[in-house]
Formats: sequence, C-alpha cells, structure tokens
Amino acid sequence: MSSLCLNRLQEERKQWRKDHPFGFYAKPSKAGDGSLDLMNWSVGIPGKKGTLWEGGTYPLTIAFPDEYPTKPPKCKFPPNFWHPNVYPSGTVCLSILNEEEAWKPAITIKQILLGIQDLLNDPNPDSPAQADAFNAFKRDRALYERRVKSQSKEYATQ
Amino acid sequence: MSDASDDYDDDYGPGSDDGFGYESYEGSDYGDDGNDGFDDVKPESMKLKPYEVAYEVLSVGDIQRQQDKLIEQVASILGLSNQNAMSLLLFFKWNNDRLLEQYTEDPEGVLKKAGISIDDNEEFLYELKPVPGFFCDICCEDRKGLLTFALECGHRYCADCYRQYTTQKIVDEGESRNLTCAADCPVVMNDKSIQKIVEPAVYERYKTLLHRTFVLDNEHLIWCPAPNCEYAVKCDDVSAKDLTSVVPTVTCKCNHKFCFGCGLPDHQPSICALVSKWIKKCEDDSETANWISAHTKECPKCRATIEKNGGCNHMTCRKCKYEFCWICIGNWSEHGTSWYNCSRYDEKSGVDARDSQAKSRASLERYLHYYNRYANHEQSAKLDKDIFVRTEKKMTQLQSTSGMSWIEVQYLAQASAALQECRQTLKWTYAFAFYLERNNDTHIFEDNQQDLELAVENLSSLFGKPIQELAEIKVQVMDRTAYCNRRRENLLSDTAKGLAEGRWKYQVQIK
Repeated sequence: MSSLCLNRLQEERKQWRKDHPFGFYAKPSKAGDGSLDLMNWSVGIPGKKGTLWEGGTYPLTIAFPDEYPTKPPKCKFPPNFWHPNVYPSGTVCLSILNEEEAWKPAITIKQILLGIQDLLNDPNPDSPAQADAFNAFKRDRALYERRVKSQSKEYATQ
Repeated sequence: MSDASDDYDDDYGPGSDDGFGYESYEGSDYGDDGNDGFDDVKPESMKLKPYEVAYEVLSVGDIQRQQDKLIEQVASILGLSNQNAMSLLLFFKWNNDRLLEQYTEDPEGVLKKAGISIDDNEEFLYELKPVPGFFCDICCEDRKGLLTFALECGHRYCADCYRQYTTQKIVDEGESRNLTCAADCPVVMNDKSIQKIVEPAVYERYKTLLHRTFVLDNEHLIWCPAPNCEYAVKCDDVSAKDLTSVVPTVTCKCNHKFCFGCGLPDHQPSICALVSKWIKKCEDDSETANWISAHTKECPKCRATIEKNGGCNHMTCRKCKYEFCWICIGNWSEHGTSWYNCSRYDEKSGVDARDSQAKSRASLERYLHYYNRYANHEQSAKLDKDIFVRTEKKMTQLQSTSGMSWIEVQYLAQASAALQECRQTLKWTYAFAFYLERNNDTHIFEDNQQDLELAVENLSSLFGKPIQELAEIKVQVMDRTAYCNRRRENLLSDTAKGLAEGRWKYQVQIK
C-alpha cells in the first residue's frame, strides 16, 4: 500500500467526518483483527427527494486500488441491483469512475457519491450495463418504476 | 493498342536507354480501346501513367512542418495564439474546415467545448512555484516550499501529482488529444503546459503520439505499413469514395509498395473492395462447404455426410446401415427389379437435385480455376525472392567468367525485378477476373492477362540457363524484360481506364 494512497485516504476520511452531505454515510470497513481497512469502505447513498428512489439508502462498497488516486476506485452495489447502469455483479458504470474516461485524481469521495446519487434517477441510456433494467427502462416504464419502488422499500432508510 | 505504339515510338527517341526497336511490334495489335495517347505533351518521366496516382512521402519532420503550417494558418485566420489554435485543431481532429465553420458560427461556444479559456492567458506561464499555505488535494501534502502547478482554470496541485497524472495519461493510456485539468474540469492542457510539467522523454512520447493522430485523423495521409518504417504517405487526390474507380498504389521511401486505400501490399489492377472480398473468400471455409455439396450426399436417414469414392449406386450407410440409391436417394428396397440402373433418375425431383449439384460443382470449379492461378503466382512471387538472391550470385559469377563489368550485368537484376512485379500484378488479375461479368470487355482483359502471363513465363524460362549461356542471351533477356514491362503497363493502363470510365461490370455488389 503506497503512502500516497494512504495519506490521501486518511485525509478523505478526515474531510468526510468534518462535513458530508445529508443522509449519506461512508466509513472504512473493519479488517478481521478489528483494525480499520482504509482500502475498502462501506457507504450508503440516499435516494433523492421527490424521485422514485426516495426513502431508500442504497448500500455500496468502494474498493481503492494501490494506485489510487492515479486510478479510480471500484464502486459496487449488492449483486443484481436494479439499475440500467449497474452490472449484474453490482459494479457501477459511470464515466468519472473510468480511468480512460473522466476519472481525475482530484475527484473526492464526496464527488463520487454525489455523482452516483445523480445517476440513480438519471440513468445513462448510452451505456447499459444490465439487460433487465435497461430493457424495462426503454420499453416498459411501468415495470421499471415498480421495480425501483420495491427496491427502495428493500433498502428503506433506517 | 495505340498507347502502346506511342510508347514504342518514344523508344526510338534519343531519351531511350536501350534502343531496342525490333521487338516493338509484337504487342501492338491487342484490344485497341480507342483512346489516343496524344493528349499530353509533358516529358515521359513527368507524365503519370493511367494507373498511377500522385503522392508524396513524408518524414516525421515533414509531418511536424505540416502541423505547424496548419496551426499557423488557423491562428492567423482566427487571431488566436498558436497554442490555442493547436488545442482547437486537436479538438476538431485536425479538420480545419469544420473548425473554421463552427468557430465562425459560435466562437465562444466552440472555445468552451474545446476547454480553452481565453481571458488574459496569452502570457500564461505555467510556472512551477511554491505557494504559501498550499495543501495538495491529491496527495494531501502541505510541506513548505512544495512546487505547485495549475492551468488557466487555477485548479492547483503539487507538481509531483500533476506530473504523475499527465505522465500516466500520455504513457499508459497513449492520450495526446484529450488531456485536461487534473480536477473534474474541462480546461485542456496545451503543448506548452505539457512541456513544462513532464519529463523530456515523456514530452517526446507526447509529440510522437500527436504525429500519429495527425496522420490517422487525416483522410489523405497514411503510415507506411512496413515494419519499423517511419514514413507517411500523402495522397491528396484520393479519398475513400474514389476507391471503386482507382487503385492508388504508392511506393514508400523504404521501398515498400502498397495500396493507399487499404494499406495492403500492391494489388493492382484489382480494386480494394474486390481484394477484401477475395481474401475473405479464400480464408473462410465457404468453399469447403461448396466442395462438400459438390462431392458428397447425406444419408437420407441419419444425415451422415457420405463421399462416394467408387462402386455402384447401391449405398449402405456405414453408420446406420440404411440402404439407398446414390442417384435418387430413394430407399433401395423400393427399387424393385431395376438393380444398378435407377429408373427414377429422370423424375422431376431427381432432375432438380442433379441441377443443383451441377451448379454447385461448376461454381466450385470456377473458383478453383482462379484460385489456383492466383495461388500459383503468389507462390512464384515468393520463389522470385530466391531467384533474386541467386541472380545476384550469378551476376558476380558472370562478372568474373565473362569479363563483363558490373554495369553490364545489371540486366539480370532488372529482369528479376520485372518478374516479381509482373507476377504480383498477374496474381491480382485472377482475383479481379473472378468477379468480372462475362462480356467482351472481360475477354479483352483476359487476352491482356494471357499475353502478360506468356511474357512472364518466357522470361522466367531464361533464368534457368547455366551461367555460360546467360552472357550469350543477354539481348534476349533484355528483350523479354522490356516486353514484360510493356505488357504489364498495357494491362494496367487499360484496366485503370476501364475503372475510371466505369466499364467493368462485376458479378457482385460493390458498396
């Protein structure tokens, strides 16, 4: 684990504890021996008010590579998460999380989480990552919205 | 062919280097296409033959100069700095027409989209400097005296982080066009800022990548496909839509001869579309399927594929033991008394089946006819390389045995080169002819092809002679070499004219 990566993650954590957007949580996970694992975080993203996603807080894991922040972290929802831009494995497909697209080393965890929150209610039809949600989104909007609703109940905010 | 006779006339002139007049009339009575050759008064060496295109070979230095010229041109038209003009050109993938058009419509919008901030940055220095109280948001360093770097947008990070970010984009991702600020911000890094921040070696890499995109983005430029060759070829008169009417063949300074349109080795006289069809046809197994349908039948019961390799029409499937008649595919037991003489042979279904088999066989034979000749010349062209090596040896031997000078034995090298070139052309005439409709023009084409073939084989046969005789037949070799070259020119000229006139009709659709 490089010191650049570690320094940055410690700072990210400090900044997050100082101030973070309402309804979100983000914390490094616990390793087997009870110590903090800065390379893997568990976070929660609330659905935006006034959208179908409201009422849920969606769990996400963030895995930082050793090359962070040169390379972007990998963000994963639980498997089979219902969203056109989320792979069946749960991996989020978003330009700012792609090294060869829009990832920049200065992008913060806060920016990433806000970006994913935006993506929830505003899917990108140009880069589908799963067939089910994408097809429903394109062809059967009622089914799509029903599934979003039920998912928001499954992950209802505590 | 009147063109040919014109060329022959020229041979008598003072500029002719061999001055053989006596063999000139042999080839002049084939396929006159009515075109006279009197329309051009330029000297022979300047004049392009009908099958040649104008082109220019560019070195890396030339490419750099062309880039600079384009940048300066855009900068002076739009009143921008060279740096900004270059960034704009990169954004528009070096398409200055589109750039000028869109820029004149909406200058601010275009600059914004391209990530260029134009406030007072004419003198922006991209300095690496320490800033009091600075904290780098990437590595979280806040050491005193830490060097920092920022673009016009003011997103400032420490120089190490910026350098690593830029280097990674250039070296790992091969990016040269779309380098932007290290923050989530669209401001572009121009040439000057990149030079300031990265190591010299990385900057060199960046320049190489830029040259590459400059060539790749330009419709009229192509890299020479030969391994390790660094030249590019520029051909202003040819664009993608012309490739059905010309075969733009170019020769790089490294001597590699290739097609400007598709990058494959010289394939005159066949056009690119037919070449790719032909190569695909030869590669995929569609012909295997044809063979199967021509030579085999399926067992009507278990569908096993059976090749009949002798014997009578009473077939017994080795797999399922079903007995049937090879001719009508009917159950053998129903044949009654007509043993070994299928009475149902002339029934409608039998006739249809035979027709389709015959058609399939004919199409296969047709393909094989062309393919065998194509492959033969390909093989011979490879053997020609060996011949060339042997020729060189023979040339030295000849020098010592016959007392001829170096310049006097050059005729062998010329003959060998002519053979190679003619075989390459012949090879592709077969691919071309395969797709041609059967009509009078095609007959003329095949006559030309036959003449060239004959000329090549005649020349080729002389190469087998022992050393002692080679000196004696020098005149004959030179004679036949000149004749081969002329036949090739005739064939290519006629085909090229036909392409330009749209005279050739194909059996397949050309998109």
